[in-house]
Amino acid sequence: MVDASVICWGPFLLIAALLSVFGILWTIIYPILFLYGAIFSGRNLDKSMNKIMFREKNSIEHFGKDPLSTLKGAHIVGGIRECGLVYSGVVYSPSHWQLMIAWINGLFGGRIDIIHRVISVGRAEATQRLREQAQADGWEEVLNVRIDTAEMTPASNPKGTKAVEVFAYGTGVKYS
Amino acid sequence: MSDVQVLASSASNMQHIRDGIMVVNTETIAGKVITQNLGVVGGSTVRAKHVGKDIGAFFKNIGGGELKAYTELLDESRSEAIARMVADAAARGANAVVNVRFATSGCSHTVPQS
Repeated sequence: MVDASVICWGPFLLIAALLSVFGILWTIIYPILFLYGAIFSGRNLDKSMNKIMFREKNSIEHFGKDPLSTLKGAHIVGGIRECGLVYSGVVYSPSHWQLMIAWINGLFGGRIDIIHRVISVGRAEATQRLREQAQADGWEEVLNVRIDTAEMTPASNPKGTKAVEVFAYGTGVKYS
Repeated sequence: MSDVQVLASSASNMQHIRDGIMVVNTETIAGKVITQNLGVVGGSTVRAKHVGKDIGAFFKNIGGGELKAYTELLDESRSEAIARMVADAAARGANAVVNVRFATSGCSHTVPQS
């Protein structure tokens, strides 16, 4: 028979203490972050969009045109010297405030602009990174561009992180 | 074949040539003729970040914005999937992979990738 006084309570107490600390942090941090999202997430989106537009302008100046296209290369008259895969991705998430607004919008149906804006910024960021990647690798144009969107929230854990991944890929080419 | 090998040795760290195999998502490779079709090749992986990064991403998610930990995760996963696809192609004696397609999905409680 095990004497109760012999049981080592240390690990249990440690786990309990850690959980309590996490609980206290959670109750303090969650409202702060939620408020931060409510106040700043819209502005942050605008700021990121402006930055992306600026970077896009720079890339377009570098290439002399928008390097991305969904064409397959038949329009290139002189022929292609070299080609290869180029890809980039970004994971973007709406704030919990935006999700709450979207939920309220969803009750009435119709357009849910607040989420559309988040996804637009994600898409713009992914395509802009593709341009920059193409520039870094020395390609002159990117053909057959495809944009793939994957939801990061697994169906088995609907309360987990809510985010979308936007992934853009294409074939970089150099003209001969 | 020799052209591709020469190209690979001169620029082995370039993204588009991996282990002497050209990877593109168009149906043909400019300047090259496909003489033999070796079948469909593929590569997949399931990955997750450690719980610390998951918690960090969860907190970042409340405020919204880019989740860098997951961007990094998917980048790593994709490189690994491509490397496996290239290994599969190499095992069949191929020197190029054309018409590459990617698909991503989440499974279980982790955030994975194929």
